[in-house]
Amino acid sequence: MKKLRGLVTIILVAFMAIGMFGIASAAAEEMTFINVAVISPLSGPAGPWGQTGAPLYDAWLELFNKEGFRVNGKLYGFKHINYDSMNTPEGAAAATKRAIFEDKVKFIVGHWDATFTTVQAISTPAKVIMLTRNGNEAVAGGVYDAKKMPYVVFATPANEMFVNDIKAIVAAYPKYKRIGLADATVGKGVGVDQIDKALAKAGIRTHREWYPQGTKDYSPYITRFNEAGCDIIYLASDPMATMLILKQRWDMGFKHIKVGATGGMLSPGMYISVSGKDAAQGLMAEDGDITLIKKTKINPKYIKMYKDAMALVSKNTGKPYYYTDWTAYGPTHIQILAQAMVKAGTVDDPDKIMKAIRGGTFDTMVGKYTMSGAKTYGSPIVFGNPGLMSKMQGEEQVYLSESPWVPVP
Amino acid sequence: MPPVEILIEGLTQSCILMTMAFGMVLVYSILGILNWTHGWLYMLGAYVVFFATTAAGIPFPIGILLAGLAMAVIGILIKKFIIDHAGNELYVGVATLALIGVLEGAATLLFTGDDRGLATILPGVLRLGVVAVSYQKMAVIGFTLVVMAAMYFVLNHTKVGLAIRAVAQQPVAASLYGISTARLSLIVMGIGCALAGMAGAITAPIYSINPFIGMSPQIMALLAIVLGGLGSLTGAIVGGLIIGFMNSVMAYYISYVSEVVLFALIILILLVRPQGLFGASAK
Repeated sequence: MKKLRGLVTIILVAFMAIGMFGIASAAAEEMTFINVAVISPLSGPAGPWGQTGAPLYDAWLELFNKEGFRVNGKLYGFKHINYDSMNTPEGAAAATKRAIFEDKVKFIVGHWDATFTTVQAISTPAKVIMLTRNGNEAVAGGVYDAKKMPYVVFATPANEMFVNDIKAIVAAYPKYKRIGLADATVGKGVGVDQIDKALAKAGIRTHREWYPQGTKDYSPYITRFNEAGCDIIYLASDPMATMLILKQRWDMGFKHIKVGATGGMLSPGMYISVSGKDAAQGLMAEDGDITLIKKTKINPKYIKMYKDAMALVSKNTGKPYYYTDWTAYGPTHIQILAQAMVKAGTVDDPDKIMKAIRGGTFDTMVGKYTMSGAKTYGSPIVFGNPGLMSKMQGEEQVYLSESPWVPVP
Repeated sequence: MPPVEILIEGLTQSCILMTMAFGMVLVYSILGILNWTHGWLYMLGAYVVFFATTAAGIPFPIGILLAGLAMAVIGILIKKFIIDHAGNELYVGVATLALIGVLEGAATLLFTGDDRGLATILPGVLRLGVVAVSYQKMAVIGFTLVVMAAMYFVLNHTKVGLAIRAVAQQPVAASLYGISTARLSLIVMGIGCALAGMAGAITAPIYSINPFIGMSPQIMALLAIVLGGLGSLTGAIVGGLIIGFMNSVMAYYISYVSEVVLFALIILILLVRPQGLFGASAK
């Protein structure tokens, strides 16, 4: 009898152990990773931007994948595959072909460089969804055609952000006289015309100058800006030009002229080393630090993700990381894609996912906005973004002003 | 009349181009080749002075000399191990063009593509009424005067200078008089590349430093020597002066179109006078 009782006990314990093991196995559910291509310059003159952003995107994605997202009950996450576009048509073509035809990637996220035309020409026929930024030629009326490019999403509205930046600057300096807009001639295009029209419509006084790419001597342009009555010069994302204008206007005695640029600051130290600490004070920059935003509601969970990602990268690189203008790109694009997949009920069907994106509302790192393009299939699909500007104070970037997003009509 | 600050910047640009162009013509007149890596030695010279002053704490003037010395050594190595083995002028051109990629790539790998600067060297400006001239620009102008004076002295009052002029004019006759053209080629290559390196070093506090700053001075220096006359040292100086001023003044008057107009003007001048301003006629 004792033996039988002992045997039953052993069998019962064995069954319990198996059962508990089964429960534990069920709890550690396997996540399926979806590959997404990040095609950006990792070498060449634009390389520093791609190289600086990449660790942040990867760190953020690591945090995102801790929770992942569910489509039809199945758990998914994303995996970045980085490709070097070199910011050239040849580099971008090679990178895109490798991503799509060799690595079978179906989604491109975080695209921001000047290779829109090349990447899109390969991704659209392959029905690969491309989340990118607009601006330059990548606008309706330029090379972009919503009907012919049904898989392109302007998840970062760079053109509208430029206008918003200027509005934020005007909010900070309402007594400004005139804003000088400086851009390299490679930036000429329909996008800039649209910006100029929007600024004129908003009643903002501007004067535009173009300079050849790679210019080192900006004294002629600074002199022309001064003669046009400009007390602010704002550049379109050209760090070297920004540093040199910052420095040269100071050396020329035009200390009253404030300088700013889109694209964010890679690091305040870089500007100080080239321009000098005194000259660099007050430098304005587009900022993606969502902890500073006051006038747009950001999900507190995403603010924590931002802080954790920045801390993780600083820890991994062993030095403080200053670059903040990454939130509007990779992370926001991933969030839009994930939420669209959930809504569409598929991770594979690009047409269903695009239908969910078009006109959908998405809660992202940069706020909650409704995507345009709902009313007409042929409309551009453009997301939102808060206009946050910071300025250099000492060796830090501090809050300057904001211009909340205005929906695209 | 353009504003004075435009003329000052034009003079600064001219000084840089004169130094670069002088070095290129010196090499051309002895070796008979155009050194396409000149602009990238300018870039490396800027890096040498950057690290010499910031990492090693070496005074800036010594840093400039170090940059010159380093580029002289690199130039001699290029001559000895690449140019001498490349065969004819076409292959030399291709080889030195290929070296551009090597130098730029190596600089990117070693130093990254981030912009660096030396804004703390000679900060401040000298106020002359309404005009402000930065001490850094004054240093460039002063440096160029010193370099040109030194080159004049070397070429006209030293044995090496005499040998250089002899080989430039009559290489066969010079060798018959016992001048070692091989050894002289190395010396000249060293001097020419040193000038490029020092030009990069002296301008490092004015502009930013990154691996991609070599193209612009290379193209502009090439324009200067073509305008001045290939093979003419005087032409290199005058060509550099003209290009530097034209670039600055035209940018003031016609903005970004200035580069297009500048190149078009050069073509026009060469159509009228193909040998350049000081070059010998082919007829």
